Amino acid sequence: MSGGKNVKVLLFGAAADLAGKREIGVSVAADSSLDELWEAVVVEYPRLSPMRQTLAFAVNGEYAEKGAKVSPGDEVAFLPPVSGG
Amino acid sequence: MFRVVEGEINVAAMISSAQRPDSGAISTFIGTTRVDESDGASVEYLEYEAYRPMADEKLAEVGAEIRGKWDVRHVAITHRLGKVAPGEASVAIVVASPRRGPAFEASRYAIERIKEIVPIWKREVWSDGYVWVGSQIGTRGAK
Repeated sequence: MSGGKNVKVLLFGAAADLAGKREIGVSVAADSSLDELWEAVVVEYPRLSPMRQTLAFAVNGEYAEKGAKVSPGDEVAFLPPVSGG
Repeated sequence: MFRVVEGEINVAAMISSAQRPDSGAISTFIGTTRVDESDGASVEYLEYEAYRPMADEKLAEVGAEIRGKWDVRHVAITHRLGKVAPGEASVAIVVASPRRGPAFEASRYAIERIKEIVPIWKREVWSDGYVWVGSQIGTRGAK
């Protein structure tokens, strides 16, 4: 592993607002969990921290639980409570 | 039949596409921008964003759920993104069924499911700031 950013994290709505970014590059090891990725992101973007209880997550376009595996090359999305309609 | 669009929703075209000889009922739900007022301020417009293509896929999933629950012969859902002015449609759901009961029930179910599983977010832009609906995070009340 090169140690470069190998996972693309997309942020939406209030999460994008708080982070001040819509896309973040994160470096994860081969068998990381979504939870570990979240912890790494929060260190860099502490303003996201209060959203922990309400955020949902997606890996490669499908909802995923916090314990789900994240691999290099995946696309992760931080999804605030949805409010369409 | 399940679409996320940037411009105005053509509700009339959605309804005419739903008219068919095996169905005696077409139910149409249209969600529109309401001007709320509080603290001497009011909503100026709503602005929607989506995670695509997941949002498109989840709209289709809502449609598939409906077909599994009711005898419906046509289901179309369109959700608009970007700015939606007062009175304009942000979402339209059109369901055709042989009878009115399933048509009504399915369209109600569709809007409730959209609000649960489709990754679309609404920002209320007020005269004194904005709020991300659902997160209640924004610049209103930060005065």
